[in-house]
Amino acid sequence: MDTKNTTEEWSWLSKLFHWLTALLIFIQIPLGFYAESLRLSPLKIDVFVWHKSLGMLVFLLVIVRLLWRIKSTIPIALANSRLQKILASAAHGILYGLMLALPLSGWVTSSASNFPVKLFWLIPLPSIVGPDDALKSIAAEVHEICVFVLIAILIVHIGAALRHQLMLGDNALKRMWF
Amino acid sequence: MRSSKKIFTPVVILALLGLAGLLISSQKIYADQWQSQSANSHLYFAPSWEGLPINGAFKQFAVTLSRDENDQPQSLSVSVQISSADMGTADFNEAIQMTEWFNGSTFAEAVFNSNTITSVESDDPRAQFIAQGILQLKGVERNIQVPFSWSEPADGNALMAGALSLGRNDFAIGTGEWAGGDQIGLAVKVWFDLVLESAND
Ligand code: HEM
Ligand code: HEM
Repeated sequence: MDTKNTTEEWSWLSKLFHWLTALLIFIQIPLGFYAESLRLSPLKIDVFVWHKSLGMLVFLLVIVRLLWRIKSTIPIALANSRLQKILASAAHGILYGLMLALPLSGWVTSSASNFPVKLFWLIPLPSIVGPDDALKSIAAEVHEICVFVLIAILIVHIGAALRHQLMLGDNALKRMWF
Repeated sequence: MRSSKKIFTPVVILALLGLAGLLISSQKIYADQWQSQSANSHLYFAPSWEGLPINGAFKQFAVTLSRDENDQPQSLSVSVQISSADMGTADFNEAIQMTEWFNGSTFAEAVFNSNTITSVESDDPRAQFIAQGILQLKGVERNIQVPFSWSEPADGNALMAGALSLGRNDFAIGTGEWAGGDQIGLAVKVWFDLVLESAND
């Protein structure tokens, strides 16, 4: 079980990063909408603690993943054309960017709202900004825009994965699976 | 006739003297009044979530303290505008005025009055005195103790500071689903840093 990628294959570590993050994000999106829809109540606070905890976990995972990626070999893209290759890496780049921007904008929103956070009810999340109404609504807006861009890109991303696997027959999905 | 007049004069004089004495002594009681300067005085409060403080402050309040002829604090009165509670954001400030919390539209003011102030031996520099009295908050009256310090720097003003803890359930603040206190703690820290000016005459 090598942790290192080759030019042909993703290592189990890269796969773990990919699918763990994917799982967390698939939980995060409905959880975020659910949290926001609740009226102010103890339940809302609890749901938000989960949302913020899992979101910061994504943040941490992505930072480690990117640091690891810088030093890694990346499997050669399964693209048929230069354009496809550019589009794929642009989409992946945006996905990485969103996985940073979402937690960051969420963190700013949370800090500016002046409500303290203990991740998983254990680790106090420091405030990165003070209480600030204007900043809070801007950050919440950024968070929301990121959510919609994320959903759009994910549809393309998943569509592309399925297309590669089922129509182009290059086993792209299998390459990312364990 | 003459004898009654003879008695009348000293009675009048005595009465006048008595009145003068009363006036002087009453002036003595109220001679040393101090009033908080709103711009330089702060009254903070902090409930908590999971033990982490959520800081807030009342922006409008007034504190009056009077001292006796030996310069000992004698009475203390505090009034607080509940609608001035500020927890940093509009969402928060709206939430805390709801009926479950402060219900500020019905209970606009909190009042504390004490005529029993004792000086105490304490290691805490913020507890030179303890004012015992009644806090009226959200329509509930409770006996509480307010420890405080008093000092007079050379500028002629006085500094008063102190800290205490109140149980929010005692005043029905945070009712219903919030009353448990497992999320938003029951103990609320209250502390103040005041600058008072002499308010005599
Ligand atoms: C929240 C969900 C997801 C995110 C954020 C995400 C993100 C990414 C990123 C950033 C990469 C590029 C990896 C790199 O070059 O370092 C990648 C690759 C990949 N993803 Fe996802 N992904 C998600 C969900 C999915 C799903 C649901 C599928 C499959 C249906 C999938 C299939 C793939 C495949 C096959 C690759 C490998 C492409 C290759 O081998 O060149 N992803 N994903
Ligand atoms: C992978 C990361 C994350 C995803 C996918 C995500 C997704 C979402 C979604 C879908 C919503 C509801 C729609 C909206 O108003 O934006 C939301 C709201 C929210 N999220 Fe996140 N989130 C993430 C991370 C975080 C983090 C780390 C925090 C805080 C530390 C956070 C704090 C918030 C807050 C405070 C809201 C409510 C915004 C408002 O008041 O309008 N999120 N999130």
